[in-house]
Amino acid sequence: MQHKAHQIDPEKQPWLENLGIAMPLCLSYLPIGIACGILLHAAGMNFLLTLLVSIVVFSGGAQFILASLLVLDAPVSSIFMTLFFLELRYALLGSSLSKYFKHSSQRFVLLFSASMNDENYAINYLKFATDKNWTTRDALMIEHYSLISWASGNLIGSLIGSAVSIDLTIVDFALTALFIYMIVMQIQNNITFIICLLSIISSFFFLLLTKNTIGIILSTLLTSLIGFAIENRVRKYSKSPNKTWILGKIHRPRMTKTTVEEMEGENAPEEEQQLNSEIHDGDK
Amino acid sequence: MVNLSNNLVLASMVPSHHNLTYHLIVILLSALAAFIPRYFPMRFFTNRPIPEWFNEWMKYVPVSLFTALVVKGIFVDGKYHLVIDHIHLFGNNLTVYGLASYLIAAVCVALVAYFTRSMLSSVIVGLGVVWLLSVTIGV
Repeated sequence: MQHKAHQIDPEKQPWLENLGIAMPLCLSYLPIGIACGILLHAAGMNFLLTLLVSIVVFSGGAQFILASLLVLDAPVSSIFMTLFFLELRYALLGSSLSKYFKHSSQRFVLLFSASMNDENYAINYLKFATDKNWTTRDALMIEHYSLISWASGNLIGSLIGSAVSIDLTIVDFALTALFIYMIVMQIQNNITFIICLLSIISSFFFLLLTKNTIGIILSTLLTSLIGFAIENRVRKYSKSPNKTWILGKIHRPRMTKTTVEEMEGENAPEEEQQLNSEIHDGDK
Repeated sequence: MVNLSNNLVLASMVPSHHNLTYHLIVILLSALAAFIPRYFPMRFFTNRPIPEWFNEWMKYVPVSLFTALVVKGIFVDGKYHLVIDHIHLFGNNLTVYGLASYLIAAVCVALVAYFTRSMLSSVIVGLGVVWLLSVTIGV
């Protein structure tokens, strides 16, 4: 990569270089954060509480769900359990990054994990895997840039939520859209697709049966265990498990088949494509 | 005047017993729910290997969970009944299960996500379609 001869050389200013890496993410957090702030305001939280939520929870999906559960007047225990299961995926993300934190102090791991998120995880995972000079401090900096942008979005949304009238049924769809996006990013092979279809049926069944958010949790436990069991059996009884149809990869448009993101099976937003194209441009 | 009526609508949405203390308790519990799955597994695995079964199981949690949440968002209402929507199109009365506008928008979001992999454009297209449907055919 070549840098123009500015007065400040980004190569020698890690904070500036990292800001550049985090910028696409920060910019896309703003509008979603504003939508989230508007919903939390409609659910009865003032702007200080919204700011507090955005910092301590720092998860788009969880905050949207929190807003809708507050409006539904769900019991506190149900709110906790739903959010807990929603955030359980971070157990996977955190443990997959843990090998890079072997020499970090406990305090640093605490600080890092507290502001980990799907999207900044995707950036950090890519950087750890491709960039030898990527340090845990850089990774923490990326998280804090995205946190600042997310919290500002929430604050703006909360403040304009009282000033403008917005059709909430439209903003409410942002959550569903966000989850559909995440599902599409998750479906990498045929078995994940089957689990997704199975989950539609089982969540219908459990939601209408229990008439409670616990239905979501039961459905999640059941279908994730089925997926785990199927993969386990295929790996046990097949000679070449990765060549079986069920574990085979699903076709994706060509532009998305870029280097490292194929390996990770997590959300890989456009920032990575830009990063990758920058890396390739540098090679030319 | 607009502001006043807006506030009245909002006031009716918020259950009456929700006060500052209630919100602070909810925030504290949300913070715990967000913090526990992030910190403890990461802390635990920084100095020991990750068991294979844990990783294999966790791989299927996000897709199962997100699908259940989408089903709840589109097909199930606040009282946990199946949503039945009626749309009037070219003089025909159609009955659909689920919120019609959300269903159509969901397909658009999935297509945009598949082809662009961009979170921002997926969400914006989704909101745009819902808005467009509400102003044109009023679903």
